[in-house]
Order: sequence, then C-alpha cells, then structure tokens
Amino acid sequence: MLKKTYDWIDERLGVTPIWRDIADHEVPAHVNPANKMSAFIYCFGGLTFLIITTQIISGMFLAMYYVPDIVNAYNSVKYITDEVLLGQIVRGMHFWGASLVIIMMFLHMLRVFFTGSYKAPRELNWVVGVLIFMVVMGFGFTGYLLPWDQKAYWATQVGANIAASVPVVGPYIRILLVGGADLGALTLTRFFAIHVFFLPAALLVLLGLHFFMIRKQGISGPL
Amino acid sequence: MADHSNKERIPGVPRYRKPKGLKIDGTEPFFPNFLLKEWIVGSVFLVAFIMWILFNPVDLEAVADPQDTSFIPVPDWYFLFLYQLLKYVPGQVVWLGTVVVPGLAVALLLLVPWIDRSKTRHPFKRLIPTGAMILSLIFMAWLTYEADEQHKHALAKNPPKPKAPAVKDTAIVAPSDPGAKIFSQSCATCHGAELKGQVGPSLLGVGNKLKPEQIEEIITKGRGAMPPGIVQGDDTKKVAEWLGKQQQK
Repeated sequence: MLKKTYDWIDERLGVTPIWRDIADHEVPAHVNPANKMSAFIYCFGGLTFLIITTQIISGMFLAMYYVPDIVNAYNSVKYITDEVLLGQIVRGMHFWGASLVIIMMFLHMLRVFFTGSYKAPRELNWVVGVLIFMVVMGFGFTGYLLPWDQKAYWATQVGANIAASVPVVGPYIRILLVGGADLGALTLTRFFAIHVFFLPAALLVLLGLHFFMIRKQGISGPL
Repeated sequence: MADHSNKERIPGVPRYRKPKGLKIDGTEPFFPNFLLKEWIVGSVFLVAFIMWILFNPVDLEAVADPQDTSFIPVPDWYFLFLYQLLKYVPGQVVWLGTVVVPGLAVALLLLVPWIDRSKTRHPFKRLIPTGAMILSLIFMAWLTYEADEQHKHALAKNPPKPKAPAVKDTAIVAPSDPGAKIFSQSCATCHGAELKGQVGPSLLGVGNKLKPEQIEEIITKGRGAMPPGIVQGDDTKKVAEWLGKQQQK
C-alpha cells in the first residue's frame, strides 16, 4: 500500500532522483568524526541548524500563549513560566537556545574562517553566512524586549538611543524601530512582528541559499 | 572493484543506491550512514541542552516601569562587546563607536574572501588573517569581560531597591504563630523580618494571591532565585499556613 502510494506519486513527480541525490551525496572522510575525532569541528554548522530548529518549534509553542501588548505581555510570560504545563521548559529552551545559537554559529564561523573555507569558489556562501549572523543578532535584539520586564525595557531603551546617535539618519532609525517618540505599545508590536514574521522569513531564505550552495559546491577539501 | 551488474543488487535496496564496493578512503553516503551518526551527536547535544535548561530555570524580573530611571540597563551578553566599546568613545564622536567601528568590522568580515585571496587555506600558512581574527577575538572577549565587571560593580554600588509593598496595611497577622518563628529563622533574611522584602519579594498580602498548598510547593520546589527546600519537614506546612493568613490589603 505504502509502496503503491509512493510509486503513484513518483510516477507523476519524479521525487526519487531528488531525495536520492541528497541521500547518496558523499560525505568526505576528513569531515566525518567517526573517521577522525578532530573532525567534530565540522559538526558546528549542523548543530547550529539543529538548535535553530528547536528555536522555531519552541517559539511556535510560546506564540500560543504570548500576547504582544504592553498590558498583557508580562503577564502572559509569567503565565507561561508559572502555570502552563512544561511552560518553564519551553521558555527555557527558547531563552537558552538563543545564546546557544549564537555560540554554535560563532564556532561554525571560526571553523570556516580558520580552515580558509571561504576561499574561491565559496565566497558567496561566506557572504550569506555573515548575513545569517546579522539576522540572528536581530532575533536576539528584538526577542529581548518581548517579556516586557525591566531588563527588557531598559536594554531596548539603550539600544534605541544608540541607534538615534547615528549621524543624520539616526533619529529616523529610532522612530522606525520604536514606532514613535517613546518606547511603548507600538515598539512591542513592532519588535514582535519583526521577531516572528520578518526575521524568520529572511532567515529561511538565507538558510535555503546557504544549504543550496553547500550542496552545489560540496564541502571544502582537507587542509 | 566489484562488477555492478544487476545480479549483485541486494533485493529491496532502492535502484539508485551505489554498490558497496564503490566506497573509497572513508567516504560514506549522507543517508542513512552519515546522518545516523550525526543524529547521535545531535541527540547527545540535545540531552545536554535539556539538562542545562532543567537546572537553570529562567526567571522574570519585575514588569517594565518607564518611570524607574534608577534601573541599570544591560544588554544580553552577546551585545556586551558593542555596548562596552561605546564607553571608550567620547560623546562628541559617538558615531565612531556606533557606525564606523562596527560598520568596518562587518564590511571586513563580508569581504574576507576578497581580502585574503591566497590559494593556501591552512591557518598557519596565512598568518595575517589568522592573527587578525585571534586579536579581534581577544579584544571582543576583553570588552565582554570588562562590561560584565563594570555592570557588577555598578550593581554593587546601587543595589536595586526592594519593591515597596503594594499593600497599605503592614500589620502582620498572628505574629506569635509557630510559623512566624520558623519564618524569622529561615526566611526573614531574604523576605524581610516584617515581610516587606529584601533580596526576595515582599510577602505582605501573599495570602490573597496564593493558597497555603501553593506556598508550600514554592518552598519545597523553589522559585526563580529562591533555592528549594530552605524549610524542611513539618515546618514547611506551618510556615505556608501562616503565610496563607497574611491577607493584608
């Protein structure tokens, strides 16, 4: 039955070559920790993606309870932390996961840098990687405000003032970020929208490019 | 190499899989061979991550108060190096620290493949990029460390004020209850002898929000910065019941 269903789809769409291409591509010995333990440095990119996946999933669950308005945001986070079944764990995953993504991504970047893997023909993939780094920092900045506690509010206040100190365009950037003269209701909805819609869209596109290029070009050879 | 005729195909193996004989020098297919091993690494990593989360519960600070300008702001740790950088830039040229230095750093990072164009990839054979990166790492680590030290110092100088109790009536209910005695021995250092709060929150009027059973649970399990099991055995129940009576308005 399962095989018949698969064959029916395969006949129409020809999916077998696509997934066999992904499945059969060779993993070279020098990046395989099963071959040489020191190759674990090549795992950092994959682990970053693993944690990004857990971030997306835990974020989706948090969004079931989180309310992005200044009256309820704090209370909804408190409710998630104290009342919701496993809420403390899911929030913990998202909170600590944020730091872990940064750490793993940074280690991955250092691996690529020190092994010179950004060299021709992989320049574009390096550039996309740096852009992913920026997007992830954006996630960190916007996500920090969402619990709407003292730490969040004042850190964002500082961030907004730093943006405002940029010559010429600074004040406009601040208004764009904050949504008005003062940090308030509009800032929270804005950061929420950036955190859950704009940045994830950008991240998925960039990750898609990143993976497409690594498949196309293959991983860099041994040193 | 083996002869890859159809006779050698193992029954049930999909058509496109390469015969075993083709493998050379430790290379292996991504799926399932490599992915299964990688998944083991991933699982160990995830278990360690979950353990970390279980032992480091996230707490929530007081709700944002735009009036409270005494709060010492601090960004998340991965922004500290940028934040600290600004402290060394004089006010008139603050754009040096906000635009020029970070902008240059990002531009350099983006353009690395076109700056370091040599064919060699080994880090020790291209000392300038390697050295530059190591120096930047040391600089960032130092900035982060300094920022953290200075923040700790600022906190020590200006400890956050304990929140004033929100209740008007500060009279303690049943001050001679056995629970009150246990409280003054075990809890008062953090929550204040008169329940007004010190390091921990004020407990005046706690009986309005929580039932004794809930208080008991918080004592046994801990909450936020409060470690579990400060009060043990029967005493827990006594303290919890006494705290449940604190229904000041």
